[in-house]
Amino acid sequence: MANGENEALVEIEEVLQHLEAISFVAQRDAREALPALDGEDAQTRLLWLQAARDLFFHDREAGKAFMRATPELYARWPDVRRWTAQALVFTRWVNSWRALEGFLEQAGEVYAQHGGAAEQAWYDIGMRWCERSVEDARAYFGTDYAKLSDGEGIAGIEALMAPAEMLAKEARLTLETYLPGALIARSVVGTPGLGPWARRGVDLMQTGRSRGEAYFRLENAEGVRHLLDELPGYRPRRHSRFLQLLLLAWFDEEIPLADSDWRPGRGRPAMECDGRTIFMPAVLDDRDEAVVAALHTAGHLRYDTYASREIEALFVVSDTEHPSLDEDQRITWRPLFAPYAERMFRFQVLFDLCEDLRVDARLCADVPGYATRLRRLLARAETPEGEPGIFFSFAREQYERLLRGDALDSRLQGLLAGEARLLDAFQAGQALFADEGFPDIAIEARSEAYLPGHGLNTGHAVYPRRTYAEIHDAPHADAYAEHRQTKEKQQGETPPQTPEQRQNDPDSDINVPPENTSGSGGRVGVGIPMPTKDVHTRGASREAGEGVLPYPEWDYREQRYLHEWAKVIERPVTDGKPKRAANILEDHAGALKRLRAALELQRPSRMAPLRRQPEGDELDIEATIGYVVDKRAGLSPEGRIYRRRAVQQRDTAVLLLADMSTSIMARHPSGEGKVIDRIRSGLILFSEALSSLGDAYAICGFASKYHDNVNYYVLKDFAEAGGAEINARIAGVSGRLASRMGAAIRHSIKRFDEVDARHRLLLLLSDGRPADYDDGGDPRYLNEDTRMAMKEAADAGVHPFCITLDPRGGQYLPTIFGPGHYTVLDRVDELPARLPEIYLRLRR
Amino acid sequence: MSNPMRGVEHDVIQRPGASKAPFYLPQKDEVAIFRAAWSKRLPVMLKGPTGCGKTRFLEYMASQLHQPLVTVSCHEDLTSSDLVGRFLLQGDETVWQDGPLTRAAKEGAICYLDEVVEARTDTTVVIHPLTDHRRQLPLDKKSQMVDAHPDFMLVISYNPGYQTVLKDLKPSTKQRFIGINFDYPDEDLERRIVAGESGCQRPELVEKLVAAGRRARGLKDHGLEEATSTRALCYAAELMNAGLAPVSAARAAMVYPLTDDPALVEALEEIIEAHFGNAA
Repeated sequence: MANGENEALVEIEEVLQHLEAISFVAQRDAREALPALDGEDAQTRLLWLQAARDLFFHDREAGKAFMRATPELYARWPDVRRWTAQALVFTRWVNSWRALEGFLEQAGEVYAQHGGAAEQAWYDIGMRWCERSVEDARAYFGTDYAKLSDGEGIAGIEALMAPAEMLAKEARLTLETYLPGALIARSVVGTPGLGPWARRGVDLMQTGRSRGEAYFRLENAEGVRHLLDELPGYRPRRHSRFLQLLLLAWFDEEIPLADSDWRPGRGRPAMECDGRTIFMPAVLDDRDEAVVAALHTAGHLRYDTYASREIEALFVVSDTEHPSLDEDQRITWRPLFAPYAERMFRFQVLFDLCEDLRVDARLCADVPGYATRLRRLLARAETPEGEPGIFFSFAREQYERLLRGDALDSRLQGLLAGEARLLDAFQAGQALFADEGFPDIAIEARSEAYLPGHGLNTGHAVYPRRTYAEIHDAPHADAYAEHRQTKEKQQGETPPQTPEQRQNDPDSDINVPPENTSGSGGRVGVGIPMPTKDVHTRGASREAGEGVLPYPEWDYREQRYLHEWAKVIERPVTDGKPKRAANILEDHAGALKRLRAALELQRPSRMAPLRRQPEGDELDIEATIGYVVDKRAGLSPEGRIYRRRAVQQRDTAVLLLADMSTSIMARHPSGEGKVIDRIRSGLILFSEALSSLGDAYAICGFASKYHDNVNYYVLKDFAEAGGAEINARIAGVSGRLASRMGAAIRHSIKRFDEVDARHRLLLLLSDGRPADYDDGGDPRYLNEDTRMAMKEAADAGVHPFCITLDPRGGQYLPTIFGPGHYTVLDRVDELPARLPEIYLRLRR
Repeated sequence: MSNPMRGVEHDVIQRPGASKAPFYLPQKDEVAIFRAAWSKRLPVMLKGPTGCGKTRFLEYMASQLHQPLVTVSCHEDLTSSDLVGRFLLQGDETVWQDGPLTRAAKEGAICYLDEVVEARTDTTVVIHPLTDHRRQLPLDKKSQMVDAHPDFMLVISYNPGYQTVLKDLKPSTKQRFIGINFDYPDEDLERRIVAGESGCQRPELVEKLVAAGRRARGLKDHGLEEATSTRALCYAAELMNAGLAPVSAARAAMVYPLTDDPALVEALEEIIEAHFGNAA
């Protein structure tokens, strides 16, 4: 034995010298690592050294990694021969050192924690991936064993990797792409949900590789949405109408709600606000939390957290002269936090806590039930561990005192006063910041520090608002100006028309410069603001020829009509999309069925007996008696004594006029599809419903660019019959340009001349206030004109009614259409079902 | 409830007794306007949303003026002979029977045509000669004309809302009337009305009820066709008086009759819960 031992020692020395001849570094690393193995016999050490040499010769990096990892590895896993043998296998692949590094780093820990068998199984899986590609194996060994197994040992790893093997075979998806997303996905959908999740990804892969990969990386909406659908908890989005109604009831303000970009793996979800919109995460714990979060966030709006005057005060105090504005004219908070450098988040959490307390104190007083709900939430909440827990406990303690009516921490007491402002919260935050009892907090842990229903107040740049007092004390004109401002800002948010839309635009003959249609189309289609006088200098550039119909327009500034100012051009709609129409009908088969059922219900009453008819199937007893009596009384009554069951002519004609400006091309708030999709569906269902009802109807659309170019599209004329062709035309509509409503309404009134009906209803479907490129940025101009057009309609015996998708419609529609002559559809999703319904109600 | 006259037939035209004046609290100047119109016997149009007190106001005025009141609820099938009168057979002869409008015109009562827009336009035309200086009612079938009694007065009510877009009154009809506009009363007044009407002895309940009602009214135009009316609040208060738990009473009177829309129901319930639930 001793002989063998000596030979081994000699050989070790030889190998070392050989190494030295080739690389000084390798020899040095080997000599440094060897003493760690002193406890082993010489043969084992030789074996180790030979492995190190072979690895080094195979790939210098592999050898170095092996030698450098040895001391640590040995300390945890003394079976040198075993792990040396495992490491040597890596020499089978080129560039395998990247995977080997990860293996060496973890092997000892895996063995120590989970035993030899688990280590072997973990290693075997990795080897299979090495066979496929070293990059995959690197991703595998580079991911923490604990993360891979998720507490379920090898079975957990196998379940995680099984879809990956399927993906590698069928879609050549790398593990690097798969693993990070899959880990999050598993935390959400659980191991059984992984398979379906991956399958869905394979399907997407087939439609496009980058789309599929983005799905697995959770980089696009599809990938995230699928996971979000699986999350447990209360989904504010599904209840957004309820929450919106609630805010409307308590705060008398229509606050837009939108989805936040929160997704699993990004801390605790909470609502956020940018001074205009409340952003809701996909899930919250429960309904209580959602209601508190919505009320609380709206409370910030109500009690001026986002008022520009209040925020400016902070900048003055911090010696930062002006609030810094970003390209959207929003105020950014960052300069306020900059002085706190790396302790920024610590200050942010404390400042938010103070401001939350101030707002909640007012909410508890103003909104009944809020305090109780808050109390319930606090009672259920679990304090997080670590640093966030310290902030959390402090906040909870203060809130409990607030709810009991006890005095708060002396630094916070001032926030309870009715006149406390944002600045007071800021200064209270500074006072707390000076207290070293609060530890530093990392950005990842920050969201945990907030109480349930509460979150970052300063996470978004803020659209400056006026204070509550300013809004409510201001004269009417100012409110108007502010409204206009917000409108103008909203225009910037509309996604530009894609080139594809422009190609399909039948109006390309108008020759609109692309930047005009795209950037400025805007929510209501207002163009680049131009001087008002432009309206007057721009003459009629188009000869009034065939198909161009001039209409007057009302100028409120001069209180007179501009003679033949607006030129309406009727354009035929020829290119239909029959396939899309069929799809829409299919998608709404359920709604259509319900609608037909509702129409059937209407029918019996419509087959109602017609009384006092000159002829019919049976006697109208009352009329007959009247007849006999009159006769006896010596009169000569008319012989209208019969009753007849017949379809009663309601005698209603309706023209549905749809606003087809650029704004309807906006994305649907849910991110799925566009507003126009819902409008198309709505119009098709309307057409289907009306044609089975038998009322005379027409469907038209309009879009304008300048006063002398108001395009009017007749999708279905009164004389035409509804059906597949009409549906195809509707399916082909898209949005473009702006909305000069007045001219379109005047033309619609004229179209009613074709029909002979006692009741004439003009249904206007709109998504914003009237606007055009040449309105000089003065929304009042076209508002007033539209109001006049409405009056003209009423005078002509046409009843106008407006259905708007603009949640702020309530602010301007009463003045244009009159109260009771409009309705606001909060959710565009409801449009297809509601549109026919509204009509049925109106004609009742 | 112990009124012995309840459940007993009586003639539609009855001069109100001095003892039982209906409960009414004026909102604005409507009493003065009505009295002025009455002094000149001008026809009056009461405008306002459902349940804000139009009918009650008229009952109150009739009682104040000691005038009999004839109410006709208008509907789609209401014909002019339903208003004016018709011949009936009696034994071997025909007998003319006056309609409610004719009786009111003859005997000098206030004739109230409730929800007049519901009636067909040809029906509403018969009231035209009664509403101007002629103050006459033609009985076409009898080839007669009735000159209205000096104390005759015509009142119509009209609810300008969602449903009336296609059924508006003709302008020629509208402009014959003196208009009195009603709306839901302001908070303090509404509290007094609810308390007075229901006899509710618990001011804190009434206060919450009115506050909740005002919140709910904010949701009008968002799916609610009719806002929570003062009448609904009175009903809720009466249910509470009858021993129902406040939350149930408010729901039964203020939520379920108003809407079937689940999100709206949830929002309304939330408002009620906040005011009356364990939360409050």
